[in-house]
Amino acid sequence: MTQPMDENEVKAQLNLIESMIAQGRRTTERWSWAFVLWGVAYIIALAWSTWGPFPAFAWPATMLAAGFASWIIGSRVESEKAETTLGRAMGSLWLATAITMFVLFPALGFSGHMLEVHVFIAVACAILGLANGASAMMLRWKTQLACAIAWWAASALSSVVTGNVAVVIFLAAIFLCNIVFGIYAMTRESRGQRAKGAVHA
Amino acid sequence: MPELPDLNPVVHGKMRLALLSLLAGVEEAEFTWLRGKTGSTDGNLGAQLLKLEEAGYISVEKRFVLRKPQTIYRITEPGRRALMEYVQALKQLLGAAIEV
Repeated sequence: MTQPMDENEVKAQLNLIESMIAQGRRTTERWSWAFVLWGVAYIIALAWSTWGPFPAFAWPATMLAAGFASWIIGSRVESEKAETTLGRAMGSLWLATAITMFVLFPALGFSGHMLEVHVFIAVACAILGLANGASAMMLRWKTQLACAIAWWAASALSSVVTGNVAVVIFLAAIFLCNIVFGIYAMTRESRGQRAKGAVHA
Repeated sequence: MPELPDLNPVVHGKMRLALLSLLAGVEEAEFTWLRGKTGSTDGNLGAQLLKLEEAGYISVEKRFVLRKPQTIYRITEPGRRALMEYVQALKQLLGAAIEV
């Protein structure tokens, strides 16, 4: 038998339930570092393929290195976790995006069909727009939706401009949607970590 | 005057209520995640989780990932039902308090 409760105690218990359920549902793994890492990787690959030696290896080598780095960092970051349906959906979306790019671009490259740089950039931007757009809609996150729109706009613009202009558009989109957005998301995550309170029995 | 509901004593404890509510929002959670969310000590958290497990409100699975031990907790169907009944009882109490 429990002690009788007054109105404020009942409200406090209801608030505790609501806030804990919400905290659980909001849980997604800490992933914003990946935006920054992949943004830097795209820029390195772009610079290497433009000015570096063996330009044919620039994208495959950089993307494989970024994939390996993501796996290493991801396995360390995920040491304390809870699994939610939303978290699994997000993970599946980004994994499917990565697989799509790892299958499509090398296949086009080796078959000799990737002849124009702006076609590669338009397709890459469209795929990144799709992934960011789906993620933004699932998370109901307007900032990420703005990034998705920027990727889609970059995709459309790259289709109608010259190769050199498409590279500049791609660089601007990477800077805005990966590096700036990634740093913003990391700041939000660390604020969220600091804001956590304690429950006492 | 309507009879006031009895509150389930297993769910009623603040820490146990927080744990059950956290687990209601996720599919499964690790001990370390629950400790981080509640800010509890290992000893207290373990004791409260054991009470919930003994009542059949949560299930526990121990496994190894990359050679590291992991203890995973999930809310069970009776646990979810107990939480919902507890919320209903609180709402009933709140209604009674407002009427008074």
